[in-house]
Amino acid sequence: MIRDITLGQYIPGRSLIHRMDPRVKIALTFVFIVFLFIASNFEGLLMMVALMFLILFLSGVPLSQYFRSLKAILFIVLFTGVLNLFYGGGRVVWRCPFFPAMQITDGGIGNAVFISIRIVSLILFSSVLTFTTSPTELTDALERLMKPLKVFHVKVHEIAMMMTIALRFVPTLLEETDKIMSAQKARGADLESGGVMQRIRALVPILIPLFVSSFRRAYDLAMAMECRCYHGGEGRTKMKQLHMTGLDAAAVACTAVFCGAVIFCAAYFPASLR
Amino acid sequence: MFVLETKELTYTYGAGTPFEKTAVDQVSVGVEKGEFLGVIGHTGSGKSTLIQTLNGLLRPTSGTVLLNGKDIWAEPKKIRAVRFQVGMVFQYPEHQLFEETVLKDICFGPGNMGLSRPEAEARARRAAEFVGLGEELLNKSPFELSGGQKRRAAIAGVIAMDPDVLVLDEPTAGLDPRGRDTLLNQISEYRKKRGSTVVLVSHSMEDIARCADRVLVMDGGRAVMLDRTDRVFARGRELETMGLRVPQITSILLTLREKGYPVHPVLTVDQAVEELRPLLKKEGGVRHDP
Repeated sequence: MIRDITLGQYIPGRSLIHRMDPRVKIALTFVFIVFLFIASNFEGLLMMVALMFLILFLSGVPLSQYFRSLKAILFIVLFTGVLNLFYGGGRVVWRCPFFPAMQITDGGIGNAVFISIRIVSLILFSSVLTFTTSPTELTDALERLMKPLKVFHVKVHEIAMMMTIALRFVPTLLEETDKIMSAQKARGADLESGGVMQRIRALVPILIPLFVSSFRRAYDLAMAMECRCYHGGEGRTKMKQLHMTGLDAAAVACTAVFCGAVIFCAAYFPASLR
Repeated sequence: MFVLETKELTYTYGAGTPFEKTAVDQVSVGVEKGEFLGVIGHTGSGKSTLIQTLNGLLRPTSGTVLLNGKDIWAEPKKIRAVRFQVGMVFQYPEHQLFEETVLKDICFGPGNMGLSRPEAEARARRAAEFVGLGEELLNKSPFELSGGQKRRAAIAGVIAMDPDVLVLDEPTAGLDPRGRDTLLNQISEYRKKRGSTVVLVSHSMEDIARCADRVLVMDGGRAVMLDRTDRVFARGRELETMGLRVPQITSILLTLREKGYPVHPVLTVDQAVEELRPLLKKEGGVRHDP
């Protein structure tokens, strides 16, 4: 059934990572991603992988969950990996008997492994963020982090509010979809058989009522917000204030050490990509 | 013979997950042809789940649903045919309207049955007449109608399939008293003219008291009572323990009887007048000690 689809990826918990300030988590995730690309050799990458395993361990989220998030990008990893096999310098290991231009070199194998580790780490780092931070925390933190953009007249509060509302209404709309699907099925709508065009046409009786009801909900919500004198972010306080604690300082310090190590490796060891 | 019957029907949501919940538990109920069955129960008692198994929208976890004596899941491929025979009107059915015109929307069901366009339209017009939608409304967009008209258009969309059994889930929710009366009259009228069977789920005991021949009471997923309407409501105190109540007038008469007055707990105001009149005639209404 449609409501069985898991929504968001947040896995509630009380681990060190869960308790961190979401702003710090977002900022650090950004730093990790940048440093994954600064690491230009296996030594540096090893530092990042070590840091990643440390965080995965601290997050208290079962490893199986992380594997599940990797499954989704397995194809991309394989695709880039295989492609990179053929685009490297160095000693030729294997040459295609039919197209001599296609050859695998030891440099290519190195590149393939390096890039694959990089992509996998990229996904795992961002998974930690989404697994340990609830959607509301995320939007709250984003709002705070984007505040400097106000200088450029970006409506930061409004954007954050829109994201919060959108997230809030996803389950509601799913439930609504379920109901409308049942109602149309009860009138004999056939959603399961037929060709592609027929199936697309079969969606019309579901999509139109869904649109209508989302507009209705939007009007109701706007009315309710206006009745409570909502007028945007100006002078608005937060019920849940974000606080940075010693925990966040520790996380920043730890990241700084590892990033320093990556820079050191980049300076003293030769680059691995050939 | 029952036109629609469930045998030890059980439905469990999320079977095999930590969120497993049995919504309907071993329910065996039969509806006779032409009968008007009321279904009452507290929120979460399993009545909505139960009726969704009746036309195969939900497949029972165990047990069977028999339509004219045949298991509806005997051939899962043909479940759509069952849905044409057991018409289902959901709560707030006006949310399902989608076509450009009311007429086209009512034709959706008959069209899905494979009827030709003129035939489907003829049926749609008949259905619209049953629910009291005027000819002038049929070419309007369903979104231009008033709330009550939308509701009736949506119900017409189900009636147009000419089902043997019509199942309605809270059809009067959110309607004003007059709209409610009109709608219930139209449903009774439809049943009388077509000889079809009606199953009505409602929170309004007054509606049930007015229309139903028999009442099924659901509590915690189980069918706890199934009896003639007056007999079910005579057990008012038991119903109250399940978070239900009896029609107001019945409640008054039940209280009077507890205080020792010789009255029957009837279901409508008209009947109550007949019950109470002799009492008032007796010398200023002297109290009869039990």
